[in-house]
Amino acid sequence: MADDGGQPNPLIHQPVRLKIMSALKGLNEREMLEFVKLKQLSGATEGNLGAHITSLETAGYIEVAKDFHNNRPRTRAKLTRAGRRAFEDYVAYLRSIIGEG
Amino acid sequence: MSITPTTAPVTAAEAKNALKDIEQTENRAAASRHGRFAAPHLIVWGVAWAIGYTANDLAPQYPWVWTVVVLGGIAGSFLFDRKEAAGRVKGFGWRYLVSFATVFVFIYALFVIMQPHDYNQVGAFFPLVIGLYYTFIGVWTKGGWRMLPLGLALMALTLGGYYFLPEHFLLWMAAVGGGGLILGGLWLRSV
Repeated sequence: MADDGGQPNPLIHQPVRLKIMSALKGLNEREMLEFVKLKQLSGATEGNLGAHITSLETAGYIEVAKDFHNNRPRTRAKLTRAGRRAFEDYVAYLRSIIGEG
Repeated sequence: MSITPTTAPVTAAEAKNALKDIEQTENRAAASRHGRFAAPHLIVWGVAWAIGYTANDLAPQYPWVWTVVVLGGIAGSFLFDRKEAAGRVKGFGWRYLVSFATVFVFIYALFVIMQPHDYNQVGAFFPLVIGLYYTFIGVWTKGGWRMLPLGLALMALTLGGYYFLPEHFLLWMAAVGGGGLILGGLWLRSV
């Protein structure tokens, strides 16, 4: 749920990363969300979003795929199982704070 | 979002706001996903309706045009749905076939029993049913609320044309029914 001492997961506990995780959570295991759509949903700038995606990918929370679609480069992302579990734990942590957990 | 990027314990107010932001982002993502799925169907059926109703008005002696148009629409929808359902829905092909076959039987039985006596009645029936269906999607599916105004508008425009423009009803349906679905599809795609 949280880090030692009741602290939130520092890898998710950041506004843009939390929005990225929230946006990816509704996808099924075969689906991926495009970078452009993630940018729109998170409200982050391109550079900022790229940095956060790299951090989450390094942590093993999201999987990133790069390919070409209609002759254009495309970057897509989805939550890994570890990422989904970490996000659910984080939400449970937030709920426990407000007494809903 | 009001939480701060630290690992300090989160206050109740911060947690509440963070949960609210999570819910908003999830809802926006669901709406976007729903739009991506529904948009191609609306565009395909919008084009089908525009062709079918126009042909019906200009050449009523060729009612079989509708058969061609509907089969084309079903084929288009099938291709989009199959792509979406790939790997998720077992037995997608036969489920789709049985579903549409049931719809055909239902409509055939309905017309045999109710016996509509002009093109306008038949022409109004389908948009009303589709409008009802879209309204239900809008009410019941997460992220699908945009289908609600689309469904209500479709039903209202159909009734308006049926009662106030009976002489040009089929062309009216080609324009506002077909055109409306195409515009609705483009709207959903942009979400």
